[in-house]
Amino acid sequence: MPIDMIVNGEAKQSAADPMTPLVDVLRDEFHLTGAKPVCREGFCGACTVLVDGEPRAACLTPAGLAQGREIGTVEGLSAGGRLNPVQASLVEHDAVQCGMCFPGMVVTLTHFLAQTPRPSRDQVRAALTGNACRCTGYERIVAAALDVAGA
Amino acid sequence: MSITTPVDAVMEFRRRDAGDKLTGRTRYTIDRGAPGMLHAAVLRAEVASGRLVKLDTSKAAALPGVRAIATAADAPGRVGIGIADHALFAQDRVRYVGEPLAAVAADTLEQAQAALEAIEVEIAPLPAVLTMQDALAPNAPLIHPEWQDYEVLLEGGARAGNVAWEATAVRGDVDAAFARPDVRIVESTFRVGRQNHMAFEPRAAVARYEEGRFHIETSTQVPWTVRNATAGFLGVPASQVRVTVPPVGGAFGLKFDIAIEPFAALLAKLSGRSVRLVNSREEEMLTCLFRENAEIRIRSAVTPEGEIAGREAVVLMDCGAYGGEQIFLTTMTAHTLGGNYRVGASRLVSRAIYTNTAPNGAFRACNGVYNTFALERHTDEIAAALGMDPLEFRRRNVLGDGDLGATGQKFEAEVLRPMLERMEALRAAAPPRRPDDGRLYGRATTVGTWFVFTGPSAATVNMNADASATLVTSGVEIGSGSMMQGLPQIVAATLGIRPEDVVVRQADTDAAGYDVGVGGGRQTVSLGAASLQAAQEVRGKLLAVAARMLDASPGDLVMQDGRIEIAGPNGAGFSIAEVAARAQALNGPVAGTGASARKGVPSLPGCAVGHFIDALDIPVFAVHDCEVAVDPETGHVEVLAYRVVQDVGRALNRSAIGGQIQGGVVQGLGYALHEEVSIDADGRIRQNGFETYRVPLASDVVPVEVELYEGAPSLGPFGIKGAGEVPILNVGASVACAVANATGARVQELPLTPPRVLALLLGRQPELAFPHILPAWDDNLLRPHGAQP
Ligand code: FES
Ligand code: FES
Repeated sequence: MPIDMIVNGEAKQSAADPMTPLVDVLRDEFHLTGAKPVCREGFCGACTVLVDGEPRAACLTPAGLAQGREIGTVEGLSAGGRLNPVQASLVEHDAVQCGMCFPGMVVTLTHFLAQTPRPSRDQVRAALTGNACRCTGYERIVAAALDVAGA
Repeated sequence: MSITTPVDAVMEFRRRDAGDKLTGRTRYTIDRGAPGMLHAAVLRAEVASGRLVKLDTSKAAALPGVRAIATAADAPGRVGIGIADHALFAQDRVRYVGEPLAAVAADTLEQAQAALEAIEVEIAPLPAVLTMQDALAPNAPLIHPEWQDYEVLLEGGARAGNVAWEATAVRGDVDAAFARPDVRIVESTFRVGRQNHMAFEPRAAVARYEEGRFHIETSTQVPWTVRNATAGFLGVPASQVRVTVPPVGGAFGLKFDIAIEPFAALLAKLSGRSVRLVNSREEEMLTCLFRENAEIRIRSAVTPEGEIAGREAVVLMDCGAYGGEQIFLTTMTAHTLGGNYRVGASRLVSRAIYTNTAPNGAFRACNGVYNTFALERHTDEIAAALGMDPLEFRRRNVLGDGDLGATGQKFEAEVLRPMLERMEALRAAAPPRRPDDGRLYGRATTVGTWFVFTGPSAATVNMNADASATLVTSGVEIGSGSMMQGLPQIVAATLGIRPEDVVVRQADTDAAGYDVGVGGGRQTVSLGAASLQAAQEVRGKLLAVAARMLDASPGDLVMQDGRIEIAGPNGAGFSIAEVAARAQALNGPVAGTGASARKGVPSLPGCAVGHFIDALDIPVFAVHDCEVAVDPETGHVEVLAYRVVQDVGRALNRSAIGGQIQGGVVQGLGYALHEEVSIDADGRIRQNGFETYRVPLASDVVPVEVELYEGAPSLGPFGIKGAGEVPILNVGASVACAVANATGARVQELPLTPPRVLALLLGRQPELAFPHILPAWDDNLLRPHGAQP
């Protein structure tokens, strides 16, 4: 049975086996290669997407669970090609290096800052513990997030 | 002629690729696919050592969707660094868990994996040698019984049995120094484990075979090595291989060597289709070209005043089943363990040892990281033995103007001493807080010596008639900022245009000349020198045309802000676009080429044997300071503050360098504290993913306080030095010295995981003993230093 879902506001249908990880359906069927399958065990956060508005590891989410739900990927966060405030702040802080972790970082931080508009530094750091980065040493990501929050 | 001043190239220019990376649009190699593409998988050995008795692919070949199977018969060649000891597939013998046996391409990945299951393999087990101690034991089984038959690519290294390569550096009379009546001998031993790069993008390649040539898109730092080594494995001319490189999702040295590209290439040729091969995370863990594990003994003869009269060391580096990068890295001991301090006489041997484990490789600042750990802890042990303040000992002994390195290189200028002063000022500005919370507090300042790996690079600059310039090199974007910031800045400054208007072409071995690769801090230096030269040629051509247009002499012209004008107020002039269009109409499109090479600073005659580099073209220095708190109940080490004073020559982009320093230090903290690799009794790497191999997370790290030290001499363009590699250099050293100071324990090993720290605190950590490092230095050598092979 095909799986119906709304991806970044568009109705989509997948023919994949319901146990296929959502990240593979997004990437291989829908050509949304923003989410990165880095660890495939729920640890790194690079595959983070929103499922009905909640951040989820798309590597551990079976495609079948997306049936009837709204999926948001990093590609959906920059409407009309315009960077959202988190992305713009990360550019401003020269935070990006290889970039592989950032699709997940951006999804996590955008969601977190919407929930917690005035976070402390420690709250930002705690919010990022599910998103590993091997390049940057995190500091600029934290600073960029605090900047968005106007902290 | 007016020349570009270095200051013009100094900018806070932001990366142009950040937007795409933040919106998920960047297409790394793992994001690339094409309709009709096949998927590949590699069959890997499950045993560490054995004789390959049977490999039957006939059943697998008959399975649905299977399009091609490649085995050793398809790849006859051997490649390597220094020695060609490495074939693409295990031939008759398996030497490590994870060694490739066969590769399959099929319509889907599931079909390819099913085919692997159907390949019939029989391996007769042989005794496995898993440690360097076992490899060096008398009568140890030989991992390469045919070692004498391998082609030697560089003469000079001593080799025998399980010793893949041995390099020595001897300067002065060490025996005499050790025999002086006024010295005391301090001896230290150290051991470090392996470190996994954990690059987020696994090694990946997409290959095609078209018009009699291979085209490989791959996630690599070394497009030309991939080109040449693929050809070497497959036994075809290198000109038949084209390599292009999309943005690379993290590398850190992992991708400084040939990887899985030849499998994809072979399968593409056999199947006639394009083939995609991506390592699983587990394969990445199992076959990571780790920073190698190492064992070190170092002895120094020091006077009561703290003069280092003599020093000797033995460094054992585990290269795993094949020589790889470790062969080259034996050279670096002379410049790292042999760096930092003025030493009367010294003798150093580093030995790359074969074991039946996954081959090791290059990792940011490579063996410099643990040699610096060893040297700095040893230095603290010397200071303690003399009853001297460790900082005072360093102030007296760090390398200064005219001092000699271990191969007789003469260092220029006072660099480390003023850097130490800067660090003291930073420290003084923020006195440590040491609350009475039951934890043990400590701090340490360490120094480090590393280098820029210069060597051949090529660049072409095409000046377009719209005043944009296209820079064509074999440089690769790995996240470091060189391709996005440093190089466009250099070209833009030379041509008087904006860095945004410099188009940087992706690496393509069909388009740009040879390059050693991106790593060793060489990208902005070597590619930068070539790019500068190419841009200067363009500049000269444009100025000549503009001089005719303005009826002036080229020397009277300035080229800046997109215009060429006669110098002086209200000088007449033209836009660069107008001049470029005129030049194009007159003489054809304007282009310039540049090339750079290693300068090759010599060593003193006879000092260095088996070395790939005699002396350092561009030394780089670093001073780090670290404050820690150790919980005596749990053994947990918290880093409270971290400071870096880094020698950068000249900072072209302070923001980019700052980002590299924060990132490099944090990778070093992982190495120092919790990134641990272990190998089980069967020779398999135990850590198979992010769950078991713990990289630093946002909650683990501190903001690094950074001061860039400018003005040290450098052969780099505009006096720059590579800045991305060195930040990790002293981190293990600083943390280890700080923990030793906090606890009073003798820190001899990294990483300092809580169990290890607890054992140290409880006195349960046995002293290191290396029976395979012989008491007399000379007895550790395969052949006496300087003797004819
Ligand atoms: S790939 Fe999903 S969390 Fe790492
Ligand atoms: S920027 Fe490379 S993993 Fe985060």
